[in-house]
Amino acid sequence: MENLCIKQTKSTPTIQFDVVNNKLRIEGQSYPENAFRFYEPIFTWLDQYLLEVDKATVLEIYFHMPYINTSSSKCIMMLLEKMENAYQDGRKVAIQWYYNREDEMALECAEEFKEDLILPFELVALDNDE
Amino acid sequence: MMNKNQDNLGLKKIESDSSLMYDGTAMKIVSFASLIIVLAVIFTGGVSYFITRNAIVDKLKSRDLIYIIESATAKIDGRIARARETSLLLARDPVINEWVLSGEKNEQLGKYAKDKLIDMVSSYDYVRSFVASAVTENYWDEEGQILEKMSKKNPDNRWFYKVLKSNKAVYLNINYDSERKNTYVYLNALMGDLKHPIGTAGVGLSLEDIAQEFTTYKFGESSALWLVDGKGEIHLADRVEQNGKYLNDFMPDVVVDQIVADTNSQQTQPQILEYVNEAGETIDLAYKRTESNDWKVVFQIKRSESIAVLETIKMNTVIASFIAVFMITLVFYLISRRIANPFKRALLLTQKMEQQVKERTRELAASNEKIMDSIQYARVLQESILPNPKELSEVLGAYFVLWRPRDIVGGDFFWVRHLSREKSLVALIDCTGHGVPGAFMTMAVNSALKHIIEQNHTEPARILSELNLQIKQVLHRNSQESFSDAGLDIAICAIEGHSRLNFAGAKLSLYVRRDQEIYTLAGDHKSIGYKASLENLTFSSHNWDIEVGDQFYLTTDGYLDQNGGKKNYSFGKKKFITEILAQQEVLSAQAGQFESVLQKYMGDEPQRDDITLIGFSLR
Repeated sequence: MENLCIKQTKSTPTIQFDVVNNKLRIEGQSYPENAFRFYEPIFTWLDQYLLEVDKATVLEIYFHMPYINTSSSKCIMMLLEKMENAYQDGRKVAIQWYYNREDEMALECAEEFKEDLILPFELVALDNDE
Repeated sequence: MMNKNQDNLGLKKIESDSSLMYDGTAMKIVSFASLIIVLAVIFTGGVSYFITRNAIVDKLKSRDLIYIIESATAKIDGRIARARETSLLLARDPVINEWVLSGEKNEQLGKYAKDKLIDMVSSYDYVRSFVASAVTENYWDEEGQILEKMSKKNPDNRWFYKVLKSNKAVYLNINYDSERKNTYVYLNALMGDLKHPIGTAGVGLSLEDIAQEFTTYKFGESSALWLVDGKGEIHLADRVEQNGKYLNDFMPDVVVDQIVADTNSQQTQPQILEYVNEAGETIDLAYKRTESNDWKVVFQIKRSESIAVLETIKMNTVIASFIAVFMITLVFYLISRRIANPFKRALLLTQKMEQQVKERTRELAASNEKIMDSIQYARVLQESILPNPKELSEVLGAYFVLWRPRDIVGGDFFWVRHLSREKSLVALIDCTGHGVPGAFMTMAVNSALKHIIEQNHTEPARILSELNLQIKQVLHRNSQESFSDAGLDIAICAIEGHSRLNFAGAKLSLYVRRDQEIYTLAGDHKSIGYKASLENLTFSSHNWDIEVGDQFYLTTDGYLDQNGGKKNYSFGKKKFITEILAQQEVLSAQAGQFESVLQKYMGDEPQRDDITLIGFSLR
C-alpha cells in the first residue's frame, strides 16, 4: 500500500497518510467548491487501508483544520465515522485534534465532531499561532 | 462587430510581419563588417604592394642591373680579348716577321703572309686584318694587297706612329666610319721588340656584331644599353639610330659627368645609380667600365617599367577587395537570416499566441457574460421567493435583514408565514453549498416548507422533522451509491401573539437580547436532509416568553465563520454576542452596523460563505 499525499491548496488541506508509521495527518482549511470530489479518493484510500492494516496496529490520526465549510464537514464526519467503525471493530485508533485556543469556532466544530464518537478523541489547544 | 474585430487583427498582423522583414541592425552590422574587411584587404594589399615594390627595386639594383651590365660588358670584353689574341698571334708569327724584316721582298714569305691576312677575314669573324711595316711603311690589308703607304704627314695615318711609340704589346684603336655608320675596333699588336718595333699587325672587328647582341638586352620599352667612350659619345646602342650621339642627349649632364668622370679604380664592380629625369620619372642606371679600354657600358631603365608587375598586384588587390566585400555581404546576409529566423519565428509565435489568448479571452468573456446574465436572472428568481418588506414587517415588527450571498445567488434564504391572526412563522435556512447549487437547494427547501405547512404542521420541532424526511426523499431517491450529499441547517420560530415564541433549530441558534443580557436558544447538533441524517430525527423545542424590549437575532454560520482579524481566525460567537450588545440603534438601522463590523474584520479576505443575519423585535 502506498502513502497518500495530497498537497495543500488555498481551499483544501494537506493530506499525509503514512502507511509505514501508521500516522494520518490532515492539516489546513477545507472549503472546496465540490467537497465530495476532493474527499472521495481519501475515503477510498482509507477503506483500503483499514482493510489491509494489521488489527494490532495503533493508528495515530492528527487533525488541524481551522476552517471546514458545511459540505467539507460532512466529509470529515464520514472519515471520522469510518475510523469509529474501525475502533468499534477492535482496532486501536486515536485521534488528536488540534485547534488554536483563541479560535472558538474551531473548538466548537471539533466538539461537535467529538460528540457522537466513542473512540479516543483528544482536543489539543495550540497557544502559539503558527 | 466580430468581423470588424477580426479584420483589424488581420491588418495588424500584416503590418508587424513586414516590420520583421527589415532588420536595420543586421544591415548596419553587415555594412560595418564589410567596411572593416575592405580596409583590411586594402591594408594588406598596400603593405604587400610596398614590400613587393621594395623587393623588386632591391632585386633590380642588386641583381638584375648588375647581371645585365656584367654580361653586356663580358660580351664586349670577350670579343675584344679574342681579337687581341688573334692580333698577337699574327704579330708574333716568325714567318711574317721575317717577311717584314726582309722589306717584303721574299716572295715565298710574302705569299704566306698574304694568305694569312686573307684567311683572317674569310675564316674568322673579323672584318679587317692588316700588317703595317715600319720598314717599308706599307699597309697590307685583308686582301693581301698594299692599301696605302703610311706617311707621317697624313693625319689619317697618325695612329700608326702612335702605336709604334706606344710600347704596348697591343694597342686598341677605335675608328668610327661615318660612311658605313659603323665603329671599327682595331687591335694593333707590335711586331718584334716592343721598344724597336718593326711594324704592327692585327685585326679589326665591327661593333655591329656586338650591337646585335645588345638587342637581346632589351628589357622594356624604355630600357637602353649603350657603349660609350671617355667623352660620353655613344659608339654602340641597342637602337642603331642612337650610334654617334652623346649620353647627354638622353640624361642630365650631372649624371653623364658622374659616369664619364669615373676613371679611377680598377672598376670590376658595376656601379648603380638612380636619377629623376625631366619628366619626373625615376630612372635606374648601371654602368661598368670595360676591361679592354676605358669605355663604359651603360644600361638604364625606367623604374615604372621595372615595377610594372606591381600594377597587376594593385589590380588584384582591388578585385580581391570587391570579391571579399561581395562574399562577406552574402555570408553575413545568410548568417543573419539564419540567426534572425528563430527570433522572427518566436515573435510570430508570440503574436499568434497573443491573438489566440485574445480570442479565448473574448470567448471566455462572452461565455462568462452569458453565465453571469443567467446567474443574475437566477438572483431575480431567488429574490422572488424571499419575503418582501411588507410581509416581513407584518410578521417581525421592527426588523433588519443582512442577506449577502457569497456569489450573486446562494444557499441562504429566509422565510416568513402568517398562519393565523395570532400565529406566524419565521425561518432562516442555510442550504449546503453556495452559488447556483445552493440556490437550487433553496428552491427545493422553499417548496418543501410550503408543503409541510399545507399539511398543517405548525410546531417548529415538528416542522424540522418533516422537513428532514421530505428533503431526504427529494434529494436522495436515486443516490444510494453516489457521493452527492446535500442538506441544510435551519432555525425556525413560531410566534404566538406577542407573548410567546417557540424555537427549534438544526445547527442554528436563536440569540435573544434582553437588556444587557444575551440568551442563546441553541439549535440541536443535527443537520437536516443529509444521507447520514436519520429519517426519524426529532428536535428540541424551546419556549421563550416575550417581554417588551426583547430583540431576536438569527444568523447562518457565514457570519460567525468569516475569517479575518490579525490571526485570520473565524469571527466567532463571542464577538457576535458582543456586537449584539453593542448595538445602540433601533433594529431597522442595525444591518449597516453589523455589515461594517464584519467588513472591517475580514479586511481583504474573501467572503467564505453565504451570510444572512436577521434581527427583529416583534413590535
